[in-house]
Amino acid sequence: PTTSKMAASVREKQTVALKRMLNFNAPPLKNTAAEPVWKVLIYDRFGQDIISPLLSVKELRDMGITLHLLLHSDRDPIPDVPAIYFVMPTEENIDRICQDLRNQLYESYYLNFISAISRSKLEDIASAALAANAVSQVTKVFDQYLNFITLEDDMFILCHQNKELISYHAINRPDIQDTDMDAIMDTIVDSLFCFFVTLGAVPIIRCPRGNAAEMVAVKLDKKLRENLRDARNSLFTGDSMAAGQFSFQRPLFVLADRNVDMATPLHHTWTYQALIHDVLDFHLNRVMMEEGAGAEPSPAGARPKKKSRKTYDLTAADKFWQKHKGSPFPEVAESVQEELDTYRAQEDEVKRLKSIMGLEGEDEGAISMLSDNTAKLTSAVSSLPELLEKKRLIDLHTNVATAVLDHIKSRKLDVYFEYEEKLMSKSTLDKSLLDIISDPDAGTPEDKMRLFLIYYITTQQAPTEVRAHETELNGTDKVHRLVFNQQIDKAFTKMASTPANYGNSGVKPMGLFSRVMNTGSQFVMEGVKNLVLKQHNLPVTRILDNLMEMKSHPETDDYRYFDPKMLRGSESSIPRNKNPFQEAIVFVVGGGNYIEYQNLVDYTKSKQGKKVVYGCSELFNSAQFIKQVRAADCSDMMLL
Amino acid sequence: MAVDRTLLFKASVKTVKTRNKAIGIGFDSTKDEIFKRTRPKSGFSPKAKEVITNITKLKDFLLQHRKDYVSAGSLISSDLTRMTDSERDQIDQDAQIFMRTCSEAIKQLRNEAEKKVTSSQIKEHRGAVLDLIEMYLKGVCKLYSEQRAIRVKRMVDKKRLYVPVKITFYFEQENQRLVSEMNSLVDEVRQIEGKVVEISRLQEIFAEKVLQQETEIDSIHQLVVGATENVKEGNEDIREAIKNNAGFRVWILFFLVMCSFSLLFLDWYDS
Repeated sequence: PTTSKMAASVREKQTVALKRMLNFNAPPLKNTAAEPVWKVLIYDRFGQDIISPLLSVKELRDMGITLHLLLHSDRDPIPDVPAIYFVMPTEENIDRICQDLRNQLYESYYLNFISAISRSKLEDIASAALAANAVSQVTKVFDQYLNFITLEDDMFILCHQNKELISYHAINRPDIQDTDMDAIMDTIVDSLFCFFVTLGAVPIIRCPRGNAAEMVAVKLDKKLRENLRDARNSLFTGDSMAAGQFSFQRPLFVLADRNVDMATPLHHTWTYQALIHDVLDFHLNRVMMEEGAGAEPSPAGARPKKKSRKTYDLTAADKFWQKHKGSPFPEVAESVQEELDTYRAQEDEVKRLKSIMGLEGEDEGAISMLSDNTAKLTSAVSSLPELLEKKRLIDLHTNVATAVLDHIKSRKLDVYFEYEEKLMSKSTLDKSLLDIISDPDAGTPEDKMRLFLIYYITTQQAPTEVRAHETELNGTDKVHRLVFNQQIDKAFTKMASTPANYGNSGVKPMGLFSRVMNTGSQFVMEGVKNLVLKQHNLPVTRILDNLMEMKSHPETDDYRYFDPKMLRGSESSIPRNKNPFQEAIVFVVGGGNYIEYQNLVDYTKSKQGKKVVYGCSELFNSAQFIKQVRAADCSDMMLL
Repeated sequence: MAVDRTLLFKASVKTVKTRNKAIGIGFDSTKDEIFKRTRPKSGFSPKAKEVITNITKLKDFLLQHRKDYVSAGSLISSDLTRMTDSERDQIDQDAQIFMRTCSEAIKQLRNEAEKKVTSSQIKEHRGAVLDLIEMYLKGVCKLYSEQRAIRVKRMVDKKRLYVPVKITFYFEQENQRLVSEMNSLVDEVRQIEGKVVEISRLQEIFAEKVLQQETEIDSIHQLVVGATENVKEGNEDIREAIKNNAGFRVWILFFLVMCSFSLLFLDWYDS
């Protein structure tokens, strides 16, 4: 029992907290045949982003929620129903709540604030409630401390709405003021604080010196310390701590700055989840694709086929996804085919029963056969919903994987991936950079830009030599080239002090034209290399490894050490704890991506009994990252 | 871990009240009365709650008598706890009538809810409420059908174990033979009855699915009828257009011929 308690991931804890909130802040009963109680749920966009990866609409309905509406939308009065609010305690939200109270929209109000509400705003609500004579209707007011979004059992981000306020660009732009930086740091620390409250543990904090990560660490340490000292209101006592007390170790919290590794956000990738994030529109575990994007040309004169948008949710219940989200892409394609075959076999079983039932009453053996077949029929019928669900998931992954494969084929992403892996591991290159860049079929100009940047970051060549190559860039105009130069300089200044070593990686191609599938399958990967990955550690993973295993390394030796539970201000860099940590949380200030996440997952798998959670202030794919880096330079750029 | 701020809120209310009193703002109670009165009274919620209370009553009733209903009854236990079959039949009948009434009530509420409201949010809310009540009713019905299935199986089992009371020595062997023959027959019948119960359950499931499909087929039917109408109208329109086109062409032709004749005439006139 204790081990299962300890193993509750942050996703489960957040889900449990939400379910409790949706049950009028009382623990939900196990009794399934209980009377239904209905309610409406009102959230703002922050609340929506937190809830949607964790609870589906069906689950909300099963909990009795008849309507779920945005706070700032037109809402009709439904006077005989209780309303549960889940919003951030901002000025406009409070105003709208007061308006709702004045308009007597609902029967009773359960106000839940995503992060702590200030006393003055609470008084604003109180006075509005008094004015509307609705004080008795405000049944409960709670601070939920859930101001972060959990996407996986071991991954979380800070926010999705308004993420430009704490983006890489916002933190690293040259014209940033101290007050702006303070505000950004406060936002980040508030979310991290909520994270640790939900986790129910006080971590030991390690961070590098001289960058945004250090600022976050200092503020977080201060906030945790203040809360622990306040014995009356401390959030780290009680039931949630009981689990933590069984482990004699506290988790390690490693803060890293995005600038320590600028190549990984640009890297092309080969694993399923990271690919989807790179080439398709994927956020909050939802993929949005356009379907019917005609491969067939429309007949002359006919109106162009309308493209319908389809969205797919990739959830924890999707077993195929959970198993293969970190797998290399050819493996995924193979597995989808396998699943399809298994499904077809099961479908045929069910169809066969139909013909067997036709033998009824024809011979004496019919009765005994009947009993077997009735049992078979019963099991077939009861397994039908499961079968249908399986079919739906197979269709989903077929569509998604096909879309990804189309991108890979048209942009030759496998070539890029292979070359970048070689660059990052400093192995011998069989082609020159120019060959790939000047190939008009391989990749968009953006792909080429990414490759170039990784080349220069890893080879550390002087920018002046490199500019000679710019004439090779096809299809780029003068503006692009200028931006490109800016980016080389920028990447260079960032990398000048900390040359990142990408470790030894190896890529073994398994034959240029290997066909992974047999004919008749959709995933004919002709011309796509079947690459096998060797495990290597990206910079963030390496930093974690050093700190978690208490290894000495010049990179991490002068990291600062904070322990909020210590009585005196702990300024020492000497860690008190000599044992390796069992649990760690890595957080990248300035943004992260799925490649880093996958690398950490692979690292954790290789270590028995260790748990690592990955977090970042925002998730971006390469396109979005390049945009942010460009935006930082826009002020310097002279328009031609 | 969530923190309860309700007490803090109540304290804030007191603070605001005292502050307002000090400033001199007060809220008259008559205004409050008006506020309360202007809230529209809807009969939906109390009716829905009534249906739920009834279903809960049924659930409690079934659970209360479940043990007695299901018990096989041994020779040791007293007759007080044993339920006669007629009592069981009575329970079955009452439960069925009750379930039917509840189902009717839900349907009626649904019709009422559709008609009275204009707001789509309230409509959606009421639809979802009725879905929740239906699910609850289904759960309770399942309780009933489970214990009924057990009862049927036990009845058949019991009949098998029943031994005739009076046997004379001469006929004993004959009777033994008959009994064993009967038992084997009853064995088969028991199997079949068991299967029939299963099949009836499957039937229920199928009927449910078919009914679900009925609504979809209805809507498809509507769409097809609509589409046929549209196509017919389209054909008419095309015919009209062709006619107009033809008519238009005739006029153009006439005009051109007239023009050429007038040209010829003018030319002849001139020369």
